[in-house]
Amino acid sequence: MTVVTTSDQTPRTATDGQGEAPARHSPAHTPAPAGQKAWSRLVAVARYYPVFLIFLIWEILSRLNLLDPMFMPPLEDVARTFYREVFVTHELLDHIRVSFMRAGAGLGLATVVGIAAGILMGRVRAVESFLDPLISALFPTPKLALFPLMMIFLGIGDASKIALIFLGCFFPIVINTYTGVKNVDKFFIWNAQTKGANHRQLIWHVIIPAALPFVFAGLRVATSTAFLLIVASELIAANDGLGYLIMFAERSFDPALMWCGILVIAGMGFTVDRLLLALGARLFVWQDK
Amino acid sequence: MSGAAMQGAVHVDVRRISQHFRSGRGADLLALDRIDLQARRGEFVSIVGPSGCGKSTLLYIVAGLLQASDGQVLVDGRPIDGPDPDRGLVLQNSSIFPWRTVEQNVAFGPQMSGLPKSERRSLVAHYLDMVGLTKFAGFYPRELSGGMKQRIAIAQMLACGPSVFLMDEPFGALDSLSREVLQDQLLQLWERDRKTVLFVTHSIDEAVLLSDRIVVMSPLPGRVKEIVEVKLPRPRQETRVLPEFGRLRNHIWSAIRQETMEAIG
Repeated sequence: MTVVTTSDQTPRTATDGQGEAPARHSPAHTPAPAGQKAWSRLVAVARYYPVFLIFLIWEILSRLNLLDPMFMPPLEDVARTFYREVFVTHELLDHIRVSFMRAGAGLGLATVVGIAAGILMGRVRAVESFLDPLISALFPTPKLALFPLMMIFLGIGDASKIALIFLGCFFPIVINTYTGVKNVDKFFIWNAQTKGANHRQLIWHVIIPAALPFVFAGLRVATSTAFLLIVASELIAANDGLGYLIMFAERSFDPALMWCGILVIAGMGFTVDRLLLALGARLFVWQDK
Repeated sequence: MSGAAMQGAVHVDVRRISQHFRSGRGADLLALDRIDLQARRGEFVSIVGPSGCGKSTLLYIVAGLLQASDGQVLVDGRPIDGPDPDRGLVLQNSSIFPWRTVEQNVAFGPQMSGLPKSERRSLVAHYLDMVGLTKFAGFYPRELSGGMKQRIAIAQMLACGPSVFLMDEPFGALDSLSREVLQDQLLQLWERDRKTVLFVTHSIDEAVLLSDRIVVMSPLPGRVKEIVEVKLPRPRQETRVLPEFGRLRNHIWSAIRQETMEAIG
């Protein structure tokens, strides 16, 4: 079983601090003034100085002709290409949109089906005994190995890629959800039942909120899997998308365009992960760290 | 008067309840052996005994959360069928929901029964005030002390309007000061509303202080050893110093000393 917990969450306390907090939590309840907020945001960006440092070294080294421009063109060329592709030809935007759509469709589908299946497995014995061996058997298979098969069935268009991403993302979500549901404290369930919760209310108001941190950890793993699989499948066979763009640029000896694609996909992955973390910090204010 | 008649009527009737468990090695374990126990309406009944006597199991059976292997539980003469908000439960370890604020926790029962939001709000305000946690309405449980969490658990139960309180060592995890404060608050609450209470505890002092009757249980298998009437005057806040208090305490202790020693050894 892979149980991945969300690390990296900054501890938070309730912000509605009316009245006095119990002594051991006293300082956290006053909202920060605006200036302080802007400052802390700046600090958060400054934390990534090693990334900017590497960019700087890259640029200096290529200016000094120490890097082969066929592999590492000057960063300025990459930026220029980026500008052209985004603001002049708009081609990069199309590739981003296509990749994002495929990844989003696969991940979205996997989230809905994975959570539903995970809850059913955790609550219904028959579903559990049916799906558990299937999942244990299929989970270790590298999903990319199935891609040729999917292309035979679904063609080289969107469908085979969405199916691949769905399959790759489904497993971390269903396994984490199942684990989360199984781990819900018996006393929470008993407490809810003696307060009049029926079966549906129990699922909705107790099982799901209690299991949500697990589900969320699975979602985070699934998101990075989605990025991995979208690029891989587009590298293998596609007419558009960021993976295709990278491959196309490599084949047409355009390293600036290739780096453009690589940096965009890296940036997208980073941004989505940060957004998920921020969402998690908001959703799980109630958790002990 | 019908009120006086109601006071005397049997409210919770536990009839020859037995409970078997299958142990890890497959051996059959008798946890409860033909327990008979009646609580009259408005009576405060404590269940004491060494660990392993099945007192919590008995309470969960009355709550409708566990199915007894044998026997029957009647409430107002009708056999129970699963859990019901009329039989409110407070557990030892705070089973309040950490993802809900204090206010949302107290509102849980009324929300489940579909009470409109505006009515819910005034109800919650009332019970928060009763347990003295109005100031903490918007806090999450993790920000509160153990005693506060147990008060929320009690308010959460009260908000469902139960006629029977089932309390499983509700103050068991608290430090002794918080414990005394909460005992006094529970007494005040009970003396005002006179609900029927089944109160499981391993503290003899607590049982003597709170109860009208004490059911003393012995372990392996869980049996009712003795039922002790507590005829101390109420209100009980100052009772701890009375000689009768010490006498009852010693009496119960000597009744279960042997078994407790064995359970520990």
